[in-house]
Amino acid sequence: MIELHQLTKRYGDKVAVDGISATIPPGVVTGFLGPNGAGKSTTMRVVLGLDRPTSGVALVNGRPYVDSRAPLAEVGALLDAKGTDGGRTARNHLLALGATVGVGPRRVDEVLGTVGLSHVAGKRTREFSLGMGQRLGIAAALLADPTVLLLDEPVNGLDLDGIQWIRALLAELAAEGRTVLLSSHLMSELELVADHLLVIGRGRILADMPIAEFIANASVGTVVVASPDAATLAPLLAGDGVTLTSTEAGTFEVRGRAADEIGDIAAAHGLRLHQLATHTGSLESAYMALTRDEVEYAGAVELHAPHAGTAQRSAA
Amino acid sequence: MTTTIPSPTAVLPEPRLVRHYRQSFGRVIRFEWIKFRTLRASWVGQALLVALLIGFSALAAAMSNNRMGDTGRAGRFAEMGPVAIVLTGANLGVLVVGVLGCILGAREYGSRMIASTVAAVPRRWQVVLSKAVVLTAVLLVSTLVGVFGAFFLGMSVLHSGGNHTAALGDPGVLRQVVGMAGYLTAAGLLGMGLGILLRSVAGSIGVLIAGLLVLPQLAGALLPASWDPALKYLPSSSAAAFTTIDRAGTDVLSSGAGAAVLVVWVLAVVGGAVWAISRRDV
Ligand SMILES: Nc1ncnc2c1ncn2[C@@H]1O[C@H](COP(=O)(O)OP(=O)(O)OP(=O)(O)O)[C@@H](O)[C@H]1O
Ligand SMILES: [Mg+2]
Repeated sequence: MIELHQLTKRYGDKVAVDGISATIPPGVVTGFLGPNGAGKSTTMRVVLGLDRPTSGVALVNGRPYVDSRAPLAEVGALLDAKGTDGGRTARNHLLALGATVGVGPRRVDEVLGTVGLSHVAGKRTREFSLGMGQRLGIAAALLADPTVLLLDEPVNGLDLDGIQWIRALLAELAAEGRTVLLSSHLMSELELVADHLLVIGRGRILADMPIAEFIANASVGTVVVASPDAATLAPLLAGDGVTLTSTEAGTFEVRGRAADEIGDIAAAHGLRLHQLATHTGSLESAYMALTRDEVEYAGAVELHAPHAGTAQRSAA
Repeated sequence: MTTTIPSPTAVLPEPRLVRHYRQSFGRVIRFEWIKFRTLRASWVGQALLVALLIGFSALAAAMSNNRMGDTGRAGRFAEMGPVAIVLTGANLGVLVVGVLGCILGAREYGSRMIASTVAAVPRRWQVVLSKAVVLTAVLLVSTLVGVFGAFFLGMSVLHSGGNHTAALGDPGVLRQVVGMAGYLTAAGLLGMGLGILLRSVAGSIGVLIAGLLVLPQLAGALLPASWDPALKYLPSSSAAAFTTIDRAGTDVLSSGAGAAVLVVWVLAVVGGAVWAISRRDV
């Protein structure tokens, strides 16, 4: 179990993590989702004690990780940076790490087999591809059979085989009662494996809910509206809880109003509608809507955006 | 690539298992030892050190034999006394061992291995201290092999040339030979500490060379004699009190005080490294 209490991390003026509180329970796979720079890696680094929080605390199994008596058996982590010396072989890298908690060569060879690196165990890691490096990082995380797994973008660089394998592995580890937290900036990487979602944007928690709930919320759907009078229509649709997103000139997506409602408003003002279609939202778009920042909300409707192509078409 | 999902044999670590995986300082030393021995630089550096010590000893002894009366470079060897002649390689050897220390301290920051290291050993002072333990143990062996090899080979060359020689039993000779191994080991530790403090191989090598070689030379040449009482506390000068290393200025500590000052230097730099690694973000 991982607990974050009012965790804040600042680098100079930059607030990377902004007072987040959350509990990552054992027994399920928790997806840590957020766009680039949202603070996922920072949070994981603070949990591991690599970076010191500016304020707040992060607890692993009820105490700070630095107080762990058997560190690698408590948390196995794959960080975003490779974290290996290129001059050392994969096997020696794992032998060294294992020695910190008394893990010996037998287990090292076992995890090398688990991640499919047995045949390159004696190779210097500087010769490793991105995916091989990632597999080595996963091997290091699994080495001492940890109760908590922290994986920062684990599928980065993995082939399809590897991705399916790690999904199955993580699900199994969680089923054994371990705590599994894996980060990604893509919903598609998480929706097949995560049971629970923790969405982060600009250092704040935006959503903390079971993935089923997230899916239920997402399927509220959007309405695509195409209208030559879009510029007039859009402001009429604005309101509390309504989001407008322009995809191209004259077309926009409405979230928060049903199609019949939009049709009625258009008719009441004598505005033309060329298209009015309801789309059941994808998880990806629900996530996009969640992480779109305030500035982008305000400027979402750019109906007068000077698209060169459009101008030429209307002139012809 | 074939990958297999491990069978669900793994059970949740219970207190019994945590005890099995318990971290101890001994285990951290083992970690640092494995890292040390699986790095090529560790062995290249030590081989170079031993070769330098022994090679320069033979060379200097031979030059001293051939040109006893010369006033040039070789003539200087004749004036140096037999122990200084056979240990002349240490003046360069201190560079090799210092650079090795810098690499061992700073290289992990370049490769980001340090993140794995600190994640595996969250009580970071143990990382620094176990690195120091490993480095001290290994360097004591290789520097002793080097200085005694240099001593016996050099003395036999001097003897064959009918030159003055010294025996280990002569007053102060054993102290100078063993002391030289101690100074070289200390230089390795200073490099390691600087490497961790500065997190840069190049930067720490620069500071080490400045502190051990350039600064004493410059200070000795440029500063007025009134500075000499202070210059004897420089690391290289403190080593000059019990070895044949060149010193800055004319003042010199007693051999016991020199050794104590050198130990304080090492403790200060390694202590600084512990302090820095403990309060910095990795
Ligand atoms: N060491 C650091 N010094 C200064 N700023 C930092 C540092 N580490 C992270 N940041 C900043 O903190 C913010 C969060 O970064 P973080 O790496 O945690 O994001 P992330 O969610 O992992 O993003 P990504 O998906 O790109 O990996 C970013 O704006 C980043 O620039
Ligand atoms: Mg990241």
